[in-house]
Amino acid sequence: MLLRLARIEWAIVVSTIALVAFGVLMLSTTADPGANGLQNQAVQKAILGAVGLGFAFAMAQIDYRALHGVAVPLYLAGVLALVMVLLVGDFDLGARRWFEVGSIVIQPSEFMKVAAVVAFAKYLADRRGSTQSFRTVMVSLGLMLIPAGLIFLQPDLGTALIFGAIWIAMVFVAGARWWHLLMPVAIALAAFPFAWFFAQDYMRQRFVTFLDPSSDPLGAGYNVLQARISIGSGSWFGHGLGQGSQSQLEFLRVRDTDFIFAMLGEQLGLAGTVGLLAFFTLLIVQALVIGLRARDMFGRLLAVGIAAMIFTQSFVNIGMNVGLMPVTGITLPLVSLGKNSLLVTLLSVGILLSIHAHRGAAPFRQQSMHVVRGSLPAAGPRGGLGR
Amino acid sequence: MEAHPRPAARTGAGQPRISGTRRTLLLGGAAIAGNTALAARLWQLQVVESDTYRVQAAQNRARTRPIQPLRGLIFDRNREPLVANAPVFSVWLRPGDLPPEREGPVLANLAVLSGERLEDLQFKLNQARTTPDTPARLARAVPRESALTIEERRHDLPGIIVRTGTRREYAHGDVFGHILGFTGPIPAEEVEGYRRQGVRFDEDIGLAGVERSLQTQLRGRDGEQRLEADAFGRTLNELSFRPPQVGQHAVLTIALNEQKAIREILARHLALRDRGAGAAVVLRPDSGDVVAMVSLPDYDSNIFTRGASSESFALLVSDPRRPLINHAISGLYPPGSTYKVIAASGALEAGVVLPQSKIHCGGRLILPSGWAFDDWLPQGHGLVDLERAIAESCNIYFYNVSGGNPYTRLQGLGNRRLAEFERSFGFGERTGIDLPGEASGLVPTSEWKNKNLQQPWVTGDTYHAAIGQGLVQVTPLQIASMYAAIGNGGRVMRPRLIDRMLDQHGNVAERTAPRVRSVLPISDDHLRLLQSGLYRAVNEPSGTGPRARSSHTVVAGKTGTAEYSGLRDAEGRLPSHAWFAGYAPAEQPQYAFAVLVRDGGEGSFAAAPIARDIVDYLMTGDMPPLPQERPDFISPDQRL
Repeated sequence: MLLRLARIEWAIVVSTIALVAFGVLMLSTTADPGANGLQNQAVQKAILGAVGLGFAFAMAQIDYRALHGVAVPLYLAGVLALVMVLLVGDFDLGARRWFEVGSIVIQPSEFMKVAAVVAFAKYLADRRGSTQSFRTVMVSLGLMLIPAGLIFLQPDLGTALIFGAIWIAMVFVAGARWWHLLMPVAIALAAFPFAWFFAQDYMRQRFVTFLDPSSDPLGAGYNVLQARISIGSGSWFGHGLGQGSQSQLEFLRVRDTDFIFAMLGEQLGLAGTVGLLAFFTLLIVQALVIGLRARDMFGRLLAVGIAAMIFTQSFVNIGMNVGLMPVTGITLPLVSLGKNSLLVTLLSVGILLSIHAHRGAAPFRQQSMHVVRGSLPAAGPRGGLGR
Repeated sequence: MEAHPRPAARTGAGQPRISGTRRTLLLGGAAIAGNTALAARLWQLQVVESDTYRVQAAQNRARTRPIQPLRGLIFDRNREPLVANAPVFSVWLRPGDLPPEREGPVLANLAVLSGERLEDLQFKLNQARTTPDTPARLARAVPRESALTIEERRHDLPGIIVRTGTRREYAHGDVFGHILGFTGPIPAEEVEGYRRQGVRFDEDIGLAGVERSLQTQLRGRDGEQRLEADAFGRTLNELSFRPPQVGQHAVLTIALNEQKAIREILARHLALRDRGAGAAVVLRPDSGDVVAMVSLPDYDSNIFTRGASSESFALLVSDPRRPLINHAISGLYPPGSTYKVIAASGALEAGVVLPQSKIHCGGRLILPSGWAFDDWLPQGHGLVDLERAIAESCNIYFYNVSGGNPYTRLQGLGNRRLAEFERSFGFGERTGIDLPGEASGLVPTSEWKNKNLQQPWVTGDTYHAAIGQGLVQVTPLQIASMYAAIGNGGRVMRPRLIDRMLDQHGNVAERTAPRVRSVLPISDDHLRLLQSGLYRAVNEPSGTGPRARSSHTVVAGKTGTAEYSGLRDAEGRLPSHAWFAGYAPAEQPQYAFAVLVRDGGEGSFAAAPIARDIVDYLMTGDMPPLPQERPDFISPDQRL
């Protein structure tokens, strides 16, 4: 056991625990004073964090290559769940995003993120030799668009876009040609004027609000403006835990989820926000380092996908809090209130730990097949990799 | 590319190299760059622009609530309170909370409970319906018991709100109506102006009298309570508290007992006439202090603040004598012969005549143009000098000295110089008394006549101006002020109504000093001649004002019978206002006064006895006998 623990990548664990702790700390300042014990969201989060971390450690003991085998059923199960949620999910705030089973809320789109990462990793690793082909890129794009499209229908544009970002990062590392990657982006940009023309008013409104939140301070721009005021008023060291009029008097809305970062900014100031940013950077960089050290392409792509998942979410969320990104409803991974997101992210951390722990393990049966298949073009000094 | 294996590849030594190292590093660089950009933005928000956001956060949470001060009180000269702030319950309605189908029963209930008339309530509700969220006042003042009952039955009365506040209660509202005025809701067109002064739209403000002219001082300044409020407007803590600055108290120059008695004297005399109306102003010649100011008929200030019944209010509004107007300062009348002293002083100063120069009065002066100008005495006064002309009020003398005489080649004072003297006595402009609505009157000139009537000025106009007829218009206060100036040796004083302002502890906050508006451009010798003429007018057998003679002191003064255009009587005479103005005691004047009886006929009969009674009262402090109990009483009916 000790031996196993020694293989744990501690920088990842420390930054993960630190980020969850930030979240617990913030939730503890907004918790309903009447809520004791398990009623308290901060306590719930701490417990769930601990449990999730336990899962992650357990995950580390399992060879991540087992995921290779379950990638297809995992992906199909995820897509099925997304279809189900559209059909019979709970309708709330104008969207169908989750199931409620008793008091537990299950949000398939969160789990789909990991399932998609695993599926992309499997497909791209399996097609190692042909990642430069247009066909591979298009098939993987299709694999991405199915869940992303279902999530877009919920509707949840923000999460759907996260899938796109994960996909781009993974296909990029897998070796796709630049123009294969740039083309969808170019098409998206070219389509923007048309999309604007056909877009719903509220979508345009969001975009305008992003550009100038003070254009409608009590309406669409309210949250953005209040978040900026909260963060700005925090100054160097903030007003202190549990202090700060913006979050305590609820001028800052959705402070437990979308705008938890703004609350942090108000209470702990620049020290807190930059500290949090540093832990995210550490986590992401470590994830990529694990990817670099991975023993096979499947592991590397998994690590890159997970890193991309955490980075895009945190970047979009913080960017939204500081007014650099439009409001999308993306929560801050590990920090925000969402339990599904916390569990999925910790699970992903577990996968990272597993990749790290098994970087020197014996070759995987299927992996060796790939070696045979893929090693021929890579044999030459300029072969395969990096092209 | 992969010829020099990366560390990542080395860790997997012995295993097949895997692709994407460079691109992974690129991604890592992108992530670090992205997060660095976020950190830079955080620096901008939390360090560079932090102060701005701190201010915005502070504004977010603070709610300020004004604390309205109690309105200052008003006292008479002897610190007798003339007004109090009485607690009052008012009934308001937020129309949006009253479903139309429940309107009927709710209003019926409310009518019973508040004592208001159902029609009035319905009318106010209909008006309020246009702004459903703004509470409208249905009843200004309901008795305490009714307010409690309404409060108890709130569930049956949706939308009804009972508020507590204060109401002005005037201790002698009937005596001081025109002076104190009253308070009431801000007229719609003035709401904006008052808002800029920090007055709330639903506040009561001074609408007339001293309540209006001293609105700012009496109101005081709002205090402020700053409360911490959350995003939903719920208040949490008090952040700061600034107590309101209580309104200052005003002390009038008028004494209650004198004002009351003089009003009573005027009322007694007017009561002898059908629908009598008139005004009396008494000043202290030296200081310009107002001793009494009465305009009858008047009103009780309390009917405005208690909520007048529709009938009594309609009565006030429809009375042709216009009781809502303070005729002592706002009424404009021809001054008649009380004005003659101006032409007299002007003629003396300009050297038109010498004091002893005599002019023949044959009872009528016919100009070459054919126009005839009569004296009031058909047979004329014979040869008169200035003193006698004043004493006997000889019109012909003043025609001569003002407009000249083509037959004797006497050069008169002329319109321009006459107008200058009129202005030097304070006519044609407001006296500046601390009351709203003062009229400035009119000093007619050829320019004025040309411009406003498109007619040339003729000699007859100068004649008329000299005897206070024709186009001349004055207020009783201006006349009183003129006689105060003659009595005090030539200083035209600004009438002083407010003696001092007191702070809430009763200390003097501001004292209003007597102010000289102008000094008469008349030499002392000439002034003494005028004074002598005024003395003789009352005290010599041939004078016009013997009925002003007092048994307690020596009165000097001048009668006036000012004709105005109206229905002529049986003998073809125009109707006239009766004036008497003067001062007493003649040697050392303590009081100057002007008395006007509107449509009173001759000044010597209608106005002089009132002046006498006022002087008698002021000198003795005792109420004089009723006019009809005097041996020399002649009823107005007998005169007609």
